[in-house]
Amino acid sequence: MTDVSLAPVPDRDSEHYFAALAQGRLEIQQCGDCGHWTWPPRPICSFCQSDNLVAKPAAGTGEVHSWVVAHRPALPGLVSLVPYTIALVRIDEQDDILIPGRLVSDVEVRQGLRVRAVPRKLTDDVGEVLWEADETAT
Amino acid sequence: MTSQFPRSQAAIVGIGCTEFSKNSGVSTFALAARAVKAAVQDAGLHVRDIDGLATFGISDSVSPNLLAQALGIQSMNWYLDQYFGGSVSVSVVAQAALAVSAGVADCVVCYRALNGRSEVRMNGSSDRPMKGPWDIQFKLSTGYIAPAAEIAMAARAHMLRYGTTSEDLGRLAVLSRNHALDNERAMMRTPLTLDDYLQSRWIVEPFRLFDCCLETDGAVAVAVVNAERAKDLPHRPALVQGAAWGGGVNIVNNGQTDLADSPAKLISERLYDNAGLGPADIEFAELYDCFTYTLLSQIEGYGFAEPGGVPAKLADGAFDRATGSLPVNTHGGLLSEGYLHGLNHVYEAVEQIRGDAGVRQIDRHDVGLVAGQLGYLSGYSSALVLAGT
Repeated sequence: MTDVSLAPVPDRDSEHYFAALAQGRLEIQQCGDCGHWTWPPRPICSFCQSDNLVAKPAAGTGEVHSWVVAHRPALPGLVSLVPYTIALVRIDEQDDILIPGRLVSDVEVRQGLRVRAVPRKLTDDVGEVLWEADETAT
Repeated sequence: MTSQFPRSQAAIVGIGCTEFSKNSGVSTFALAARAVKAAVQDAGLHVRDIDGLATFGISDSVSPNLLAQALGIQSMNWYLDQYFGGSVSVSVVAQAALAVSAGVADCVVCYRALNGRSEVRMNGSSDRPMKGPWDIQFKLSTGYIAPAAEIAMAARAHMLRYGTTSEDLGRLAVLSRNHALDNERAMMRTPLTLDDYLQSRWIVEPFRLFDCCLETDGAVAVAVVNAERAKDLPHRPALVQGAAWGGGVNIVNNGQTDLADSPAKLISERLYDNAGLGPADIEFAELYDCFTYTLLSQIEGYGFAEPGGVPAKLADGAFDRATGSLPVNTHGGLLSEGYLHGLNHVYEAVEQIRGDAGVRQIDRHDVGLVAGQLGYLSGYSSALVLAGT
């Protein structure tokens, strides 16, 4: 069930990112000049300083770099979920992009676990990323 | 480009603090005023000698202009009101040192006042939640917002890479507690065993309760003047021999690929270069310990152990106050003295350098390293080398 209190308030640089998630897509900015990927969404490429960043659908796949298990809810909307696992996922597009999200699969988590992004709608305009174990991974 | 800090041209000459408690019963404004007055009195100076004030915080305290007006300081020459937390806990002192070295101010008092338990709690659970930084929007729905979660993530990465264990983290908690037992300022003065640690409840795995620092109401202030003026004041000056701050890698900053690396490494070389010495010359260290793991990671990052080498040294007692080769957090730190956001580490270092630490006094106390939060969260860190004249 969606809890609106968990929805962040986007800014002008991030509204497209959260809107895409609400519509079921994980989009990451890629620089139209140098090709580097940038996350979180920002107004400038931190590699070549171009402002020609284009939001593109990401593969949505990656692997777990680290994880924690939260035993205290950080917000009222998370009370029913504790304890829950937060995974920090290195996405396949670029090895220095690490995206946190709740791991929703009931699997034994480990470093290198292959995962897939599951966008979840929080409001009409804002979504979030969950991660699930990628059963198709070899 | 090399960055040169004006070596030993400024000194900490006065220190002041309030009681550290769970409920001060007064405003942060009152706490700040008390600590600042205590610091200038300790320095043999008067409030009217202050012409600069520096503080930091996360919109949870009193700003320098309001404090100056309340203290009756008619004309301020310099001030700093830095947004951020523990990452800048000692760079405010470094910047005060720059100001007095450059002559733009004569006497700067750095302070941190907070009602961190009774008013604005860092975990966001109080009625007056802090306003988060920009990147909170990308962590909010996950509940990845308390510092404990983010630093536990790094601790896990270190465990995976080097085999660091819960027991290793527990020994750091016990070390800190042992150092607080005879510290009259400390909030936690009952013994803690490794077993107590291992039995304590999970907060965010791999962190248990005793991996996490305290929540504290209180204030600390330190007075900074130039080295010439310091000679005429009552206490042995603690010279700011070197300083570095900055760094630049965190979770929202592309360029980081493994959280197990100590972010303190990004400033340690510059710190030692500025101070004109190396890790072997440091006699004691007061390191930012919002969590046990940040202590471990800084011991590595400032070159006191190889990556992965802290547990062996810890087991040998290397960091014990009474017998260790490098006493660490001689007051019990944020884990057991109190969460004064790191400025209490500066206070302790100055007491040690003066030889005024009483039962806590260490033998070799001329050169100490004091560090702020090592570079998670904001991505920045700060560190000082303080030395006796």
